[in-house]
Amino acid sequence: MIYINAFVFCGLVCLLGQIILERTKLTPGHLNTILVVIGCVLAGCGLYNKFILWAGAGATVPITNFGSLLVSGALQGYYSEGFIGLLKGLLVNASAGLSATIIISFVVAIIFKSKN
Amino acid sequence: MDKSEYKKIIKSKKPKEDEFKNIIISFFVGGLCGIFGQALTDIFNKCFHFSINDSYMLTMVSLVLIGSVLTGLGFFDKVVSFCKCGLIVPTTGFAHAMTSAAMDTRNEGLVKGIGANIFKLTGSIILYGIVVAFFVSLIKVIIG
Repeated sequence: MIYINAFVFCGLVCLLGQIILERTKLTPGHLNTILVVIGCVLAGCGLYNKFILWAGAGATVPITNFGSLLVSGALQGYYSEGFIGLLKGLLVNASAGLSATIIISFVVAIIFKSKN
Repeated sequence: MDKSEYKKIIKSKKPKEDEFKNIIISFFVGGLCGIFGQALTDIFNKCFHFSINDSYMLTMVSLVLIGSVLTGLGFFDKVVSFCKCGLIVPTTGFAHAMTSAAMDTRNEGLVKGIGANIFKLTGSIILYGIVVAFFVSLIKVIIG
């Protein structure tokens, strides 16, 4: 059942993105930024965790999850350490994805040659 | 010929991309990405006994790996021209943006090329993500 939910949720996010790209003059860079901001706001309202419970990886695969990870890290930091935890915890949950992306991109850029 | 006429001619000659078809394709490709992610998560969770949050994280790392290597091999742009947003919105698009920025500038050197330009396309995602996340959490904490 969770596979169907994952299909529907992830598909709907991509569909929304495609509609934005078709109807406006925004580039994919704008689109991803908008989606991250939407993810932050949804996580701030406490909705994103419910999406993850409902759709599983369907909600963690789109880029909106990056915003949700940032907000959840900051809130966890606040609950354990107070206001200083907001800054200390902001990147904690998102760290794995961000670090992996930077490291893998660097290694790939060193190994492969661009054709242009 | 004045400008409005010129624009009309351009519009009639432009190849029409089928908007509805693109939207349906991105829905299905995006959905398949979700199913693929869920399958990977289940494998990490049930076969390798990671916790559920770690499984989600490892799934994200796997998708980043796939997106980066496909970009390195030069396949990603061809696939995206068919799949559209189905591969841009998942984490593969984030990996593609960072890897292609690094690859395009690697000839200019390690520091001035890759170092200065690797965040050229993804910088805005990271910047606005962090700024908005900070203020959203601050507001949430203050409100209660």
